[in-house]
Amino acid sequence: MSTTELQVRTSQPAATPGIPRLSLEGISKTFRSGNTRMTALDNINLEVTPGEFVCLVGPSGCGKSTILNLVAGLEEPDSGKILINGQPVTGPHPDRLLLFQEPALFPWLDVIGNIEFGLKSVGINGKERRERALEYLAKVHLHKFAKFRVHQLSGGMRQRVAIARALAINPQVLLMDEPFSALDAQTRDILHTELQQLWTETGKTILFVTHNVREAVTLGDRIVLFTYRPGRIKAEFSTAHLPRPRHLEGQAQTKLVREIMGELQGEVQLAVASEYGDARLRVDL
Amino acid sequence: MSSITSEAIPQLQQRLNTAQPLKLARKTGLTLLKVGLYAGGLFAIWYLVYLLMVEVFQVWISALFPAPVDVLVSLVDHAADGSLWRAASASLARLFIGFGIALPAGILIGMGLAWGRWFRSLVGPIVLGFQALPSVCWIPLAILWFGLNERAIIFVVVMGSIFSVTIATYDSTKLIPPLLLKAASNMGVKGLAVFSRVVLPASLPAIISGARQGWSFAWRSLLGGELLTAGIGLGNLLNQGRDLTDMALVMAVMLVIIALGLLFDQLVITRFEAYIRQRYGLVSRSL
Repeated sequence: MSTTELQVRTSQPAATPGIPRLSLEGISKTFRSGNTRMTALDNINLEVTPGEFVCLVGPSGCGKSTILNLVAGLEEPDSGKILINGQPVTGPHPDRLLLFQEPALFPWLDVIGNIEFGLKSVGINGKERRERALEYLAKVHLHKFAKFRVHQLSGGMRQRVAIARALAINPQVLLMDEPFSALDAQTRDILHTELQQLWTETGKTILFVTHNVREAVTLGDRIVLFTYRPGRIKAEFSTAHLPRPRHLEGQAQTKLVREIMGELQGEVQLAVASEYGDARLRVDL
Repeated sequence: MSSITSEAIPQLQQRLNTAQPLKLARKTGLTLLKVGLYAGGLFAIWYLVYLLMVEVFQVWISALFPAPVDVLVSLVDHAADGSLWRAASASLARLFIGFGIALPAGILIGMGLAWGRWFRSLVGPIVLGFQALPSVCWIPLAILWFGLNERAIIFVVVMGSIFSVTIATYDSTKLIPPLLLKAASNMGVKGLAVFSRVVLPASLPAIISGARQGWSFAWRSLLGGELLTAGIGLGNLLNQGRDLTDMALVMAVMLVIIALGLLFDQLVITRFEAYIRQRYGLVSRSL
């Protein structure tokens, strides 16, 4: 299906030229547990243009996943604004869909039922719902598995069903929280290719959180590097010079990967020192 | 790009399905054989005890400890004259009405407990309290409220089983993976739809286990109610055996009660549970 067709079928407001699809303005978030306060995010400013693929990279505990939860509307920032097409975020809404490390499919439904679950939630019913579900199932090459139970699929297939379920709803922004980190290396390679293809096909705006710098460089148009607590944006990198589709082991990416790793090294060191309480413990990326 | 396994898996699935019936028939035959041997063994021991205690040492009398054959004869007699069928069908009718009310109502109250803090703090203690009350304790109240009739017994059956279903349902909602609720909320599911589309189906396997427990509670409550009130039924038939000192009849009715309870549990609830668990992928099927 072409991008124009997709636009026609979209029930949501189309992007206005000049207004970013997603913008975070001065976002801060602090978590309290008993007497301890932990600043997860400190004054984050980020703009994502329509159709852009942005990867967020940083050490564990830098608040990357918190950003996704905030954009999804599942949590609220302490200060700052989150705007989708210029409109403030006020809670969960299917125009911002979150994909997790686990596929979060419903075991009482079959594969096609899972995709239809999402469509039903946004009020698409009848014949159109089944057709659209099948269409998106075909996009992830799982149309032969429509009637399968979730537990009969492999981990990678389940994650593809989850991706199809999200894309079928046609969100404004797709939020992916380390969606491939529980998969084996081979499956992950395949999904990297598939995701780039789906992204090109559907023109979705994607915010993708990962620990893996290689994965970020393979997938993203732009890589945003976070500092360890409090999470701040340390640096941004563009991959515009790297041709697509990219593969995880592609040689062209190596230089950029090294550069980002160098920046990340110090942050990971801080994270390890804090977590293990031992500043002498060395980690080499 | 094409997926690696998309060709192989449907074929594997098909092979699995065609292999099932043969395996199932063999398994059923084996199970029947085992059950037969087991029951035969129990009856043999019973007969041995009868021989020793009644015939050889003459410490017991056969009127109080009948031989298996006497019980069987009584069973056949009462089946032939229709009294056993009338009693069993009257009892089962009460049971199905009572359990038919208790099951959906119990699930509904259990969902209510999961739904709201205020509902939980108001109704939760009542549920726990009544669950601690043995169901026969409802009989005096039921008789005064409804009289010595069907409604009194059905009321006792409902009160005897509803709270175990309620507690099982509420407990099962606490075990739902939070990620599923998060995913549903993210897709815009809210309010009552969360319950009908996520909470209820997600807790179904555990609710079925609760239903099994509720069923056995209903069965007990029914017999308790029937023993203490009048009217046709298995409990009444037991009382008749006591009044006539007909121990063979008493034992025959006890056997029928055991058989009916087990039959429903094994043939209906266990099968449905196995089916649901298989659908949900909760059983590891060895290939």
